[in-house]
Amino acid sequence: MKDIPLTWFLYFSAACFAVGLLGVLVRRNAIAVLMAIEIMLNAANINLIAFWRYGNSPTVEYPGSRISILAESPLSGPIFAIFVITIAAAEVAVGIGLILLCYRRWKAADVDRFDTLAG
Amino acid sequence: MNASTGWAAPILLAQQPEIPALDFWLIVKWLLILAIVFFGIFPGIVAYMVWAERKIAARFQDRIGPNRVGPLGLLQPIADALKLITKENIVPATADKVVHIVAPVMILVSAFLVLAVIPFGSGMVAINPPSGALYLIAVSSMSPLGIFLAGWSSRNKYSLLGAMRAVAQLVSYEVPQVLSIVPVILWTGSLSMVAIFDRQVEYGWFIFSPPGLLGFALLTIANIAEVNRAPFDLPEAESEIIAGYHTEYSGMRFGLFFLAEYLSVFGVSCLGTALFLGGGTLPPPFTNALQEYVGTYTTGSFLLTNAIYVPVFMAKVGLYIFFMFWVRATLPRLRVDRLMNFAWKFMVPLSVINVFIAAVWYEFVFRPGQPRYLIGWTVTGAMVIVSVVVMISLYRASDVIEEAEIASRPLPGRGRRPIPTGSTAR
Amino acid sequence: MTQAILFGVISVLGLITALGTVLARNLVHAALMLVAFFFLVACQFLLLEAEFLAAVQVLVYIGAVAILLMFGIMLTRNILGDDTTTVPKSTRRLSMLIALGVFAVLALGIATQQQGPPGRKPWKELTERPAVGPDDLDRKTPKAQIVNDMAKFVGRDLLTRYVIAFEVAGILLTAALVGAIVIAHQERDDDPATRVLESEAAAADDAAAADAESSRTLLTSSSTR
Repeated sequence: MKDIPLTWFLYFSAACFAVGLLGVLVRRNAIAVLMAIEIMLNAANINLIAFWRYGNSPTVEYPGSRISILAESPLSGPIFAIFVITIAAAEVAVGIGLILLCYRRWKAADVDRFDTLAG
Repeated sequence: MNASTGWAAPILLAQQPEIPALDFWLIVKWLLILAIVFFGIFPGIVAYMVWAERKIAARFQDRIGPNRVGPLGLLQPIADALKLITKENIVPATADKVVHIVAPVMILVSAFLVLAVIPFGSGMVAINPPSGALYLIAVSSMSPLGIFLAGWSSRNKYSLLGAMRAVAQLVSYEVPQVLSIVPVILWTGSLSMVAIFDRQVEYGWFIFSPPGLLGFALLTIANIAEVNRAPFDLPEAESEIIAGYHTEYSGMRFGLFFLAEYLSVFGVSCLGTALFLGGGTLPPPFTNALQEYVGTYTTGSFLLTNAIYVPVFMAKVGLYIFFMFWVRATLPRLRVDRLMNFAWKFMVPLSVINVFIAAVWYEFVFRPGQPRYLIGWTVTGAMVIVSVVVMISLYRASDVIEEAEIASRPLPGRGRRPIPTGSTAR
Repeated sequence: MTQAILFGVISVLGLITALGTVLARNLVHAALMLVAFFFLVACQFLLLEAEFLAAVQVLVYIGAVAILLMFGIMLTRNILGDDTTTVPKSTRRLSMLIALGVFAVLALGIATQQQGPPGRKPWKELTERPAVGPDDLDRKTPKAQIVNDMAKFVGRDLLTRYVIAFEVAGILLTAALVGAIVIAHQERDDDPATRVLESEAAAADDAAAADAESSRTLLTSSSTR
């Protein structure tokens, strides 16, 4: 049984990212835009985990020493993904708060209605 | 065999010393086991839980309870199930049909998935992922979504109100529920449910320590709130909002909600038992009587340990469920703002403090070296008593202030008091 | 083989649900699609043997973010989550072109990459994962240990190697929580005279408003105060 090549995951995540971008561009409702951003963040997470799982952390040999240590943390992928998830959660909380405020101010949740600052 | 059949392959693997290849027949075998266990045994348990609840509630109210169908009304649940199955499934004309049908299934799946990591005995666990406790929390956090969709798709004011109440309540009580099991994870050093069981076989039940007792109490309260039972049954308060989120459901789809509710009662009882009451182990003097057989998988030891562990586990779960019935028959329903205040102003701070006390207990008892039970009990016991007393008095004080504030508000508009729903539900 | 089939099913469903999120006219349906997408991403994590992250994904995204988004939809639009407005057709066509272009660039980059980072193989040649399962029974390599007990190692690393980032994330979460409450909190008017006027106006409105409308005000007041 063979493994899936890494590139499959990369293609999937690239496609998801493009779909998320499409959502940001075509949607007018601010919450829908927020959802599309979540899709893009998830696509990035898949990439991080895929690279982590397929890559081998190279070891660094120190000349004249028998010690070889890892050049980087073998956990950098998951840790990065966890931070992305954390930031995404915080972003959604603040984003929903802002959208609610804008909704009260302009009585609409469409991003192109928030144009008071436009000259 | 290569890495791709690692334990994380998303098909269930039993806790076995050797990880089997993920071939077709293995999948078929597991699907059969799943079909039998999940569609035969657990609904059966649920049916007789309903019967037991009706009987027990009747005794509490000095009635007899179901006694017409079969001896002692024992066939009543079967008659009820038949009735539900044969009734017509009505989908309201304005309802969102797909979501209306998907919602109860989602809740039921969430209730079923919880049972996958519960160790009913030694090796009697469907899957043993290294982060089993987290898995458990994750799948149980899916049920608010199903409830929300059920309420939303019905196009009914009361359904939506019930769903909003339910989501606010479930999300709020999830926090203390998760925080109250942190001590167990801290003491075990692992998220695996089997590791938690093994640790309790070795060290005794986790409830026998001041922070464990407090954690168990908090977990029990949060559990009762999580499964929407009295006194926390506001989402389906029949005297206020008809039946809440499942008002518009009929026939077997209503039956699915019913099944999910009782299944999650069973699930949280298993959770409390597995985490704090030592799983299937015997009470203290004999807790580690079978320790040498745990983890060995010869036929004899497997049968011997589980012949004791599984019935004991079920007996503990039964007691836990009986306690929940007892609470339901005794306490009246809470008011919505009190419910929220209780979660956020009392349970969350107390469970955070409890994590700290659990760390102190770890230092005294679980640190490698001689366990110092006496000093551990004295110090953490004092801490638990002080923190509980302080939290209760603080909570009482804030409640008095809030009640005074509510009483001083002028009556709005047509002389009615503000609707309690509106006060603190977030 | 099993893995390839699983990957295919999960990816196709994932793309369908992602497109559904983006294109569904009803916002609640879009959110439901998004939940399915989150779940399928968790499945991808399982395929990549990161079960801890799969659980975190379900817990955070489905258990918290999706619920938050649903509340947001309820509070900003009419409760039935009715059809959302979309941009004009020309803009939509342009957006699709842009999205396709971005995907083409990314795919081209993946397909034509010749050389990996220093000391690494190019991505195309990474077809086998470092073994962590039955082949490596002693679980000696760090990666094997991590894959088999990720929660433990993530916890250890968060409090040693990444402790600064961890603390900063904690501060960020606290700030986000406080900020969200401050932003969304509706100040109650404490002047009794205006309050009585307002409540009378509200009562009049209440009597006049249609069913759906009144239930929305009820919900709004119940969920934002």
